[in-house]
Amino acid sequence: MTVTTAPPPPRRFLVPVAGLLAAVGLVVGLSAAGSPDVTRARVEGSLTPAFTRLYVDQQRILGHEVPAASVAARSACDRGGPQVADVGAGADWICLVDFTDQAGAHQQGKFELQVHANACWTAAGPAKLVGGFTITDTRGRDVTNPLSAFDVCFDPDA
Amino acid sequence: MSAGSTTGVREAGGTHRATPAPRRAGTGAAYRWELVKLAALVRTRATLAAVLVLPPLVVLLLRGQRAPADTLFGRHVHDSGFAVPLLLLGFATQYVFPLLTSVVAGDVFASEDQHGTWKTLLTRSVSRTQVFWAKTLAATTFAAAVLVVLAASSTVASVLLVGHQPLTGLSGQSIPAPRAALLVVGAWASTALPLLGFTALAVLLSVRTRNPALGVVGPVVAGLLMNLVGSLGGTGWLRRALLSTPLEAWHGLFTATPFWGPLVQGAVVSLLWTALCLGAAHHSLRRRDITGG
Amino acid sequence: MTNSLAVRAEGLTKHYGTLTAVDGISVEVAEGEVYGILGPNGAGKTTFLRMLFGLVRPDAGVLEVFGRSWARDGTATLDGVSGFIESPRFYPYLSGRRNLQLLAGLDGGVPAARVAEVLDVVDLAGRAGEAVAGYSFGMRQRLGVAASLLRAPRLLVLDEPANGLDPAGIRDMRALVGRLAASGLTVLLSSHDMDEVEQICDNVTIMKQGSVAYHGTIAALRRQAPPPAHLLSTSDDRAAAALAAGRPQLAVTASEGRLAVRGTQAAVDFYVSTLVRAGVAVRSLTPGETPLEALFFLLTESGPEDPPGPAAAAVPAAAQGGRR
Repeated sequence: MTVTTAPPPPRRFLVPVAGLLAAVGLVVGLSAAGSPDVTRARVEGSLTPAFTRLYVDQQRILGHEVPAASVAARSACDRGGPQVADVGAGADWICLVDFTDQAGAHQQGKFELQVHANACWTAAGPAKLVGGFTITDTRGRDVTNPLSAFDVCFDPDA
Repeated sequence: MSAGSTTGVREAGGTHRATPAPRRAGTGAAYRWELVKLAALVRTRATLAAVLVLPPLVVLLLRGQRAPADTLFGRHVHDSGFAVPLLLLGFATQYVFPLLTSVVAGDVFASEDQHGTWKTLLTRSVSRTQVFWAKTLAATTFAAAVLVVLAASSTVASVLLVGHQPLTGLSGQSIPAPRAALLVVGAWASTALPLLGFTALAVLLSVRTRNPALGVVGPVVAGLLMNLVGSLGGTGWLRRALLSTPLEAWHGLFTATPFWGPLVQGAVVSLLWTALCLGAAHHSLRRRDITGG
Repeated sequence: MTNSLAVRAEGLTKHYGTLTAVDGISVEVAEGEVYGILGPNGAGKTTFLRMLFGLVRPDAGVLEVFGRSWARDGTATLDGVSGFIESPRFYPYLSGRRNLQLLAGLDGGVPAARVAEVLDVVDLAGRAGEAVAGYSFGMRQRLGVAASLLRAPRLLVLDEPANGLDPAGIRDMRALVGRLAASGLTVLLSSHDMDEVEQICDNVTIMKQGSVAYHGTIAALRRQAPPPAHLLSTSDDRAAAALAAGRPQLAVTASEGRLAVRGTQAAVDFYVSTLVRAGVAVRSLTPGETPLEALFFLLTESGPEDPPGPAAAAVPAAAQGGRR
């Protein structure tokens, strides 16, 4: 049997190891680059119009026609207390929504938001203010309360 | 090649007979025969049957239940027939999407190793490149068929069984039925390119590992891992480079002001993954020494 | 003119890591001849055929089929070439006929009726509708030959076609190959069985551990073969061996518990009668290995220190001198 010299063992592993290092480098580099998708401005900016529309819907179900402009909603969100930065996905976002209800009175609701990394969040509304899981419509049927829990997505590049 | 003669003919005196250039089979013929082979497999027909039959069953199952709240549009399944296809889309893209294509694409090359038929296939008039593209196209055709059947079955079943009420969108707005129908079709269609990416990934695994099990399961595991990484916060651009992220880009269609960024980025990323995986797979197949079957 | 050669290989080499499967072999197969490639398992015959079919890429050397090469002409190299490597494999979930139709489709230019024709040639028409998974080994071999005949080849390459067949199958296969060869087709046959090659081949290359050990005609090989050996079993082997010592034209050696007797027919006859008169009973006298088989083992079982032989007459001198 003719034996040809094999390349020295370390060289055989050079390409796979280099490939692995390159892949790891790429992953780390990509993770560090870019700005966070979830920011306070984007959360507030998507909560306010969504709340307004859903409030109008809810009031329509209850029999009151409320013009959207009259709701005048404003939201202020904070993630997990003063120590935690208001960026990034998490289940600890608390948003306070100030609005004018259908009777003209000023109300403030505390919404608990679960924000996901895919630029979508799920809100749970304060039952005492916006009602429970179901509400009774004008014809006496029980329908889902649009404000008790709702999903909203926003543009991560906006 | 003359018909009817069983053997070549040696001219007297050893002169070389000029043979007319034979008509060589191309990628088209190879593609058609790959489809024939796929159609003969149980897994192909079983998968297509499953994606046809399961969605209506799911719709019926959901009828008596409390609306699932953990997936987007889950809470609206009783309110609008357009919610169920989107719920199924969300569920599929989370867990089973890569499997829909890898069940065939992960096996289409490795099965030749398993049956030892590479030497039978590659000693014909078709080149390795033609065989590669024929198989890849066949796998892609299957993936497209599965996507279309799944989308159609979900949409038609739920519109028929639940109705075509307006859908509550992802900004709390109400989307009227015709527009909702269009957006649902658009959402399903937007997953075609990422599905192509997963097909390419399955092809790569099928060619490199020569193992049908790895080819089928590999992309599923990869998909789950990518979903996991994507759901972590603080990953910057890494999330946008994953192949699982474009599967959620359809969210942008359902907001009050639709946004297209994730869709465009997703398309580019999917095509990049496809090109890289197919390029590597093709290179690997061309250079391989067929020493076994 | 390279066009008159069906196959031309020059300095063909293939390494698998540290193992050299084929080491600089050169082979020329003229059109219309039946050529045998012979060698024990692991000699590199199959690797050579795989390179011919483009399944394996050679590391060095030239390989041309009808003047075309893989590097230059790609898949066109296989125009007019058919055959199979080791045992032919098909898709088990398709029927025999479907498999052939698929291969005919990939060959291009094969008329639809051809599939039925080749099934008749190999006598598989009756079972062609069944899935190949249920075929016996012999049926799959025959299906492989059928697949090779689909596109009316000019060169038929068969890798151990009688391997694994029962004696009836072997006989049928040899008859089929003989018929095909007689009709003018160039046949390249690889085998480890000298008998098979001797019966149908014109020229032969004997390979040993990746190199050529002999290269030439069967007739020339026969002339170099040692005289036939007989195996003798007696009641007293030691006495018999002693009686043979010093006799001209006779060589007696111990072999596997019996005696191997080599010599002219007259010398052997005289020796047997001498044994009987000396009181040594002859229990059996049977033909041993054929001359060519003996030569084959000689050529292929020599030690690793033998230099790889180039073309003709690489028979080790020692064997030649001792036997003649």
